[in-house]
Amino acid sequence: MPVGAHVGEVVPWEGPESGAPIGVPLVDLLDRVLATGVVVSGDLVLAIAEVPLVRLSLNALLSSVNERVAAPWGDGGPL
Amino acid sequence: MTQTVGEPGPRTGSRTGAACTATYVFAVCRGGDPATLTGLPGQAAGNPVRLLPFGSLEAVVQDVSAAEFGEETLRERLTDRAELERCARAHHAVIAAVAGSAPTLPLPLATLYLGDERARAALREDERRFLAVLQRIAGRVEWGVKVYARREAPEGPDRSATVAPTRTLTRTATRTATRTAARTPVRTTAGSAAAGAGAVDSGAHSGRAYLERVRGARQERERRQQAGLVAAETVDRALRGVAVASRRLRTHDTTLTGERGVQLLNAAYLVADGHEREVAAAVAEVRADPACQGVEVEVTGPWVPYSFVDGGE
Repeated sequence: MPVGAHVGEVVPWEGPESGAPIGVPLVDLLDRVLATGVVVSGDLVLAIAEVPLVRLSLNALLSSVNERVAAPWGDGGPL
Repeated sequence: MTQTVGEPGPRTGSRTGAACTATYVFAVCRGGDPATLTGLPGQAAGNPVRLLPFGSLEAVVQDVSAAEFGEETLRERLTDRAELERCARAHHAVIAAVAGSAPTLPLPLATLYLGDERARAALREDERRFLAVLQRIAGRVEWGVKVYARREAPEGPDRSATVAPTRTLTRTATRTATRTAARTPVRTTAGSAAAGAGAVDSGAHSGRAYLERVRGARQERERRQQAGLVAAETVDRALRGVAVASRRLRTHDTTLTGERGVQLLNAAYLVADGHEREVAAAVAEVRADPACQGVEVEVTGPWVPYSFVDGGE
């Protein structure tokens, strides 16, 4: 059963940018494409799967935010 | 017999690890429509995104250059913000396109195999798990809800929210509080009738006033933290009321949330497709709740149920 044709158009409902064509918020997207999903064993990138990849990538995002590299999340979360 | 559509002709087939092409897997789906994949750039513009059947399911795959997805190269690419964003959005675009026509299980960014046969063999081993998860998410979508503490206390004379660099509130809470307290207009000294302090005691006086200011600021902060947590719980409870499952994601560091303030809740809710109105009603309700006046509630969705596809046994 299809989950509905609209699922591709994820936009914030409201908030400051309401109505602006900004598409999917990147931080929320990274929460999902990096930290979730069905984990299977791949051939090539196992070594940087999960934690390090998440951290690495969010560091990139952070450093672009304010030229400062820091832990993406407050410490203590799983993963 | 099901034949994969959109195969790049002679290049497909029994490649092995020796080839310089790898098979990038975006997702697993059941009964995907190849037409939805047409024209998607995926992770390697020029190579078609296609369906690779295995067992009773299909993987959504694309040939990519193995060199570009080697550990070191990938590390470099994903450390570059623009490249990271491009990869993440390309990944999502494919998943969203497939999910429009079939129940779809997203795989995390950068799941790669050394060729179609390796991918097929590995995925086939997990077929039963995939089927169970597909069953769980079929006809459901994910909604993201985040709760932020408002930076300015609506009622208080406490200006710490505007004075303090919010970015550092979490990690260097103590230090910030101290600095803030020192700058905050004195409002706790009323009782500090170290009145007879006299010249000799002025040092002690200011020391005591200082400590009281610190204490006042700390109490105010604790009160607001507590109120924020109560509000976050209230929001979570309301959303769980309309969801079939929920999951807490890690809250974002204040560096990422920027002027939005401290993030108190980052959660995902699995909701029946078509129940947008229920989600909206739950959100409207908590926004009107007196317990939630100190927080902002932000909603995103509907998402493909990214947060609900792992661990399905």
